[in-house]
Amino acid sequence: MNELDSHRPPLPWLAGGILLGLVQVLAIGLVRPLSVSTPFVAADAKVLEHVALEYTQHHQLISNEEYKRFDYGFWFNIGLVLGALLSALYLRKWKLQATSILWQWNHNAPILLRLITGFCGGVLLLLGAGLAYGCITGQFASGWAQLSLSAVPFTITMFGFGMLVAYLVYPKAPNLDRWRR
Amino acid sequence: MSNPIIGLIMGAIFGASLVLAGLADPDKIIGTLRLKDFHALRTVVVFVLVGMLGTWILDSVGAANLDIKPAAILTVAIGGAFLGIGLGLTGFSPGTALASAASGRIDALFTIAGMLFGAHVYVLIYPLIVIPLERIVNWGSITLPQITGSSTALWVITLFATGSLALFLKRLRKTRFFELHKKEGDLKMDEYYADSGVIRLTPDCLEAAHVFRGWKNLLFIVVVLCLLVHQAAVWLTITGQIEIGEDAVVKVPVFLGLSQKQTAGATEQAMTQSNLSAPAVVQAPVIRPQKSGILPFEVTFEHLTSAVRLANAILVLTSLLYALTLFLSLITSLVSGLAGLRHISRAFYLSLVMVILLLPWQMVFGRIVLGAIYTPDELVAWCTADINGTFEIVLFYLRFTGYWALAMIILLLAQSRSHRWAKSMLYGLKIVEQDVQKRIVA
Repeated sequence: MNELDSHRPPLPWLAGGILLGLVQVLAIGLVRPLSVSTPFVAADAKVLEHVALEYTQHHQLISNEEYKRFDYGFWFNIGLVLGALLSALYLRKWKLQATSILWQWNHNAPILLRLITGFCGGVLLLLGAGLAYGCITGQFASGWAQLSLSAVPFTITMFGFGMLVAYLVYPKAPNLDRWRR
Repeated sequence: MSNPIIGLIMGAIFGASLVLAGLADPDKIIGTLRLKDFHALRTVVVFVLVGMLGTWILDSVGAANLDIKPAAILTVAIGGAFLGIGLGLTGFSPGTALASAASGRIDALFTIAGMLFGAHVYVLIYPLIVIPLERIVNWGSITLPQITGSSTALWVITLFATGSLALFLKRLRKTRFFELHKKEGDLKMDEYYADSGVIRLTPDCLEAAHVFRGWKNLLFIVVVLCLLVHQAAVWLTITGQIEIGEDAVVKVPVFLGLSQKQTAGATEQAMTQSNLSAPAVVQAPVIRPQKSGILPFEVTFEHLTSAVRLANAILVLTSLLYALTLFLSLITSLVSGLAGLRHISRAFYLSLVMVILLLPWQMVFGRIVLGAIYTPDELVAWCTADINGTFEIVLFYLRFTGYWALAMIILLLAQSRSHRWAKSMLYGLKIVEQDVQKRIVA
């Protein structure tokens, strides 16, 4: 029960959503819409630059100036980690854990499987974000904020496949809020 | 401030907001995808709506730095599918994986490692697979208002209103009424029902009443929206905001013996032929000014006709369902002995009257009996008819606005009465609860 209580969101959904929305507006007013995934490709481009310089120079994507330097996007992600760390520490939510409640509920399997699944999921996440020109932050949230047409097919397939895979991987999914009560 | 510092600050605010909003928790994301826990979904919807509204305001004052992604539909759809699979497997998105890892999640660290590897795979496949894919169905950096030729304001207001309504309706279902009676104390109260014999109330009856109440409110909103569409169509037509097309064929005879007006050209020709010095006084029931462009997008009379027909169909169905829901609420109250019977009875009879007023009886009985729901052909017939004299103008407004207003007032009265029924139920339950507690103390 204590473990469940630690999963209670610090803010109600309305306050949390408004806060995130205001951050989006601030980002659009100051620099550009929120985006997280591009620096991962830039990091890979940096590594490739050291390993295979010629390949990098002739590559249609990472030869672009955008992927050659660690600018706003890179520091944004560093800031994201720092901000999350500080707020988790402040809220006393920092806790070392390797699995989730729903994973434990559904799979009586070793933690190693969760970590392997996490790695495979991560590969698909960035591959998908690259193909879709943005992740959930960059394409879904920022796309809808700007009423971009590309957000429509992205939303449909993301939620469709997400729900299907979640149904297959987590067939037993109780409502944690109700269970807590 | 240089860009890296702004980036660091913005990132820190965003990261902290993700943790505060509870999105850095894979269980919340999976709960949403499994449609069991809507915290993450609601948060993200509010996030998007507030962002949309703020971006629109910033854009209208020229202060927005937009970055619209290309609409390469196939690539984006495949990317979305991959991302969805990754999201369903892990419960992390790239942003929340970073925030979760910072909160002490080792599995998120593995996801980040996977993301770095995924970025490498993306770079490798980019020249071979992504570039050819991007060329298929690529509409460039385009927005929804641009592709539909409508205004941004219309999109933002519509999406904001729809999203807020969806969130509000979700909240309605969780009203304090039944939340109150599901808490521990009330569950105990349920247990005492059998022994005390005070009432024949069971939790099932409360659940049923809860369901009827939610549906009643939803149906009421739909009926009101459809009625507003109806009235808007009338006023858009009679103020000339939407011109009746030449090909709008009028097949329905005009009521009360009014003759149809000839087309303008034909009238002029007839006047010339008969050498009339002054045109006959044709007093139209309405003033038709030049199109002033109130509407932010192009709406033709065909669109209006389709909207009215759709509203008609929904209106007939929902008004009948509304009355039926009130009837079932009455039955539930009667069977379970809930309070507020007189209110729900009145509400039911009012809703019946409303249904009788609304239904398009003219389609069954011809011109003898009219219903508040009109057909587009009827509107065309009245608007293109020769209407002379005050009596006919009054008749016109009575038919299209007065009748509508009467149905709307009765609907509002029914809703008000049914609302009092719900409040009475709550009041009655409190009295019962106090009574049970007194008995326990005694």
